[in-house]
Amino acid sequence: MARAVTPEWHSALRSAPSYGRAMGDQADLLAAFAGSWFGEALPAQARMRLVECASLREYPTGAVILTELDETRVFGIVTTGRVGLRVLVPERGSVTILTVEPGDVLGWSALVGPHRSTSTAVALEPTTVLAFDPSALRAALSADDALAATLYPRLLEAVTRRLTATRHQLLDLYAQQAEAVPW
Amino acid sequence: MVTTVAARPGFLRRDDLERLIALLQEGGRTVVGPTVRDGAIVYDEIREVADLPAGWTDDQAPGRYRISQTGSDRLFDYTVGPTSWKRFTFPPRVPLLTAGRSTAGNAAFDSARPDPPRLAFLGVRACEIAGLLVQDRVLSGGPFVDEDYRARREAAVVVAVQCTCSGKTCFCASMGTGPGVSGGHDLVLTEIDGGFVVDSGSPLGAQLFSRLPITAATPEQLASAVGGVAEARTQQTSGVALDGIRDRLMDQLDSPRWAEVADRCLSCANCTMVCPTCFCTSVTLASDLDGRSTDLDRQWDSCFTGNFAKVAGGNFRSRRQDRYRQWLTHKFATWFDQFGSAGCVGCGRCITWCPVGIDVREELAVIAPPYGENAQAAVVAGSPGVYVTATVRSVTPETADTSTLQLEPTDSGLLAARPGQFVMVEQPGFPPLPISISRVADGALWLTIRAAGPATTAVIALRPGTQLGLRGPLGRGWPVERAPGRDVVVVAGGIGLAPVRPLIDALLRDRSRFGSLLLAYGARTPADRLYTGELDRWRAAGLEVQEIVDRAGEEWLGSVGVVTNLLDQREWRSREGIAFICGPERMMRATVSTLRERGIPRRRIFLSMERHMECGIGLCGHCQMGPYFICKDGPVFAVSEISDLMREGI
Repeated sequence: MARAVTPEWHSALRSAPSYGRAMGDQADLLAAFAGSWFGEALPAQARMRLVECASLREYPTGAVILTELDETRVFGIVTTGRVGLRVLVPERGSVTILTVEPGDVLGWSALVGPHRSTSTAVALEPTTVLAFDPSALRAALSADDALAATLYPRLLEAVTRRLTATRHQLLDLYAQQAEAVPW
Repeated sequence: MVTTVAARPGFLRRDDLERLIALLQEGGRTVVGPTVRDGAIVYDEIREVADLPAGWTDDQAPGRYRISQTGSDRLFDYTVGPTSWKRFTFPPRVPLLTAGRSTAGNAAFDSARPDPPRLAFLGVRACEIAGLLVQDRVLSGGPFVDEDYRARREAAVVVAVQCTCSGKTCFCASMGTGPGVSGGHDLVLTEIDGGFVVDSGSPLGAQLFSRLPITAATPEQLASAVGGVAEARTQQTSGVALDGIRDRLMDQLDSPRWAEVADRCLSCANCTMVCPTCFCTSVTLASDLDGRSTDLDRQWDSCFTGNFAKVAGGNFRSRRQDRYRQWLTHKFATWFDQFGSAGCVGCGRCITWCPVGIDVREELAVIAPPYGENAQAAVVAGSPGVYVTATVRSVTPETADTSTLQLEPTDSGLLAARPGQFVMVEQPGFPPLPISISRVADGALWLTIRAAGPATTAVIALRPGTQLGLRGPLGRGWPVERAPGRDVVVVAGGIGLAPVRPLIDALLRDRSRFGSLLLAYGARTPADRLYTGELDRWRAAGLEVQEIVDRAGEEWLGSVGVVTNLLDQREWRSREGIAFICGPERMMRATVSTLRERGIPRRRIFLSMERHMECGIGLCGHCQMGPYFICKDGPVFAVSEISDLMREGI
C-alpha cells in the first residue's frame, strides 16, 4: 500500500542496518525456496544444494539492502514484503524504477560480473529475503557445472522478464496522447 | 374426366372429418393420431373422430403435465404429449437380424426385412414435422441409410394440424420450426370454429384434397386460421436465442454451469426418450438356449445412460455433467456440423417430462447467452444529426488533467447504457468526441475525460448548468453475463480504468454471483491514478485491488513496474476464469499473453479496443478493423474474435 513519506520515515531509512537478521532452519528455507516463483522451477536437488548457503533475513521498512554500484552482497528471493529498486537521478532525486515482490529475485548482479548492484534496493515495508551468501554461492556454482546449468537459465529468465517489463515502461504507454481530429 | 376441386386452401366441416379418416383408411391403412389414454394425450390408432381428444387440452410446465376438459368441441386444442412420431417411424425396438451357427461351424446372417405398416399420421404439429425432417437427414440423408426407417417414412401419410395454442414449454417459434407448417406434409389442417381450413402439400395430399367435401374457404375462415396460428406464436414468451448458438455453446465446454445442472439432473434419459429427434440406439441380443441362434434388435438408447460411452478401458462420460453437456451441445451445436441444422425443434417435451424440470431454454441462456445481449442498450440518439441535450451537473477533477463530468440527459433512455458502452459528446464549436461511460448513477451519466486537445480540454472546463449534446448509448459493452460463477480478472491501464468502472460497479452489485474478483490497475505515476477515493470502498465490497505505477519517486511505497507484474506475482491459474482488459493496445497484448499462460482461453479474455471513431454507428468507416467497425461491433471484443488483427497497421 502507498504510504506518505514522513521525515521520521526518512531518518529511519538512513539509520536502518544494511543487513537483516538471519534466521530459519533448513526446512523453512527449503519451503520458502520451493514456494517462490524463482525456486519452484528448479529441481529439488538443486534447491537442497543451494539452501546450504542460504538464510532467511528480515529487513525493517527503510532498510537499504543493496546500494547502487556497490558490491552486491545479497543474492536472494523476496519471500514477504516489497523491495524498491531505486536509482538516483540528479535533480529528480531517487526514482523507484521497479519493485521486487514476493517470489522474485533480488541482487542478480551478485552472480554476474562485475558483481555490482545496478540500483539501490530499499525495503518499502517489513521484508523477508531468502538470502544466499554470494561468495559461497559462486564457489558452489564454479565447482558444480550441473548446478550452474540449472540455476543460470532460471536467472536469465528472471532477468529477461525484468528486461521485457522495462521495455514496456520505456514505451510510456499511459503518456498523454493527442486528441484525434476529424480532418 | 374433369373434377371441380375447391380452390386451395379450402374449408372442411368438422362433421366431414370422418370422411378424411375413411379416406386415409382406404387400402387397409391405419390412422394414428391423438387420443386420451392414461391421463395424457398420446398417439395411437384412430378408428373414428370420436377417438380424438375432443374438448381436451393440456397444461404443461417444467416437470409438469396435466390434461383437462375445456368444454369446447375442438379436437386439437392441445399441444404435444409424451409420444412423438418417431415411435412409429423409428420404433423403440426393431429387429435387425438373426445370426446362427450350424453344427459344422458355418455362420448364417438372416437380415430382417423392413415390413413397415402403412400408416397415416393425423395431427402432426409443425415442430413434429421438423422433427421428422431432422431424423430424415440423420437416418436417411447420408451415405448409409437406416432401411427400416426409410421404409416406414415412405409408407406414412402426414396430415398436419397447425397449432392454435401453445404451452408454457413450447418454443418452436424461436427455433424457426412452427407453429405454422411450412412443408413436409401431405395435408395440413387448421382448426377453426365449425371445422378446418385445409391445404395440401404433396401430390398425395392434393389427391386427398380433391376427394374431400371441401368448400372454398371464406376470407373470415382464412383470417381465423391465420389468427389462430399467430395467437399460438404470441403465447410463446420464452425461447432459445438461435443466432450463433453453435459457437456460443462450443465456447462454453468448461462452463461451471454443467456441474450445477448435474446436481439436479437424474440422468434418467426421459428427455431423450420423448425427444422427437434423438436417434441413439444400442443393439440388444437374445439367444436361444443352445446358443445356435441369436436375434439382434436395434433398441432406443440414450447418451444419459451409464454405459453409453463405456469402453473396455473406462467410461468417457462417467459424470452426469459430461452427459448433460454431451446432450445439450449435440442438440444445439455439433448437430449443425453433422446434419446442417439444430437437433432441437422446440417441442418442449424434454422440459415437460424432465422429473426435476430442467429447462433447456434456461440452461442455454445461462451457459451460452447471446453475445452482447446484455451489453447493448437501445440507442436513443443514433444518427450523427441527432443529439439529446444533457446538462452538466458537476465536474470533479480526478487528476491534474482528467475530470469526471456528471451529465443529466433530457432523455432517460441514455441512462440504460450498459457497462462498456460509449456516447458521442458534441459541444458547439468542437468536433464530436467518443467518450466511454465511466458510470451511470443518480440519474446521471458519468464521463471521465482527459484533456488531450482542444475539444476534451473545453468539455472538462464546462461549468455546472451548461449543456452539451449526447448520442448513444453506442457500441457493444462488456459481456458481464458471461462472468457468473467464474473468477474475474479486470486489468486496466491509465485512463482505461474509466470504461471498466461500470463493469466493476456491475460485478460488485451482484458480488455473490462471481468467484474471486481482482482488479489489476497500472498507471503512469502515482499522481495519474484515477478514482483513488473509491478503491477502499471497492476492496470492502469484495474486489481485490492491486495497483502498480510505471515510475515513482520515494514517496510511493506501492508496486512499481508494468501491470503484468501484478499478474506474474500471483500463484493462481484459472482455466475457468474470465478477464476484461482496457488500456493501451500494447499493454493489452502483454496482458493477454500473461493471462493465456495462466490458462484463461482467448474466448474469455475481452478487450475494449480503441480506434478513431467519428459517427459511432459504423457508417463513416474510420474505425474499421478487419471485418469490424469498432464503434458498432465493439468496442469490446473477445480475443478470439480479433487477436489476428492486433498487429501493426490494422
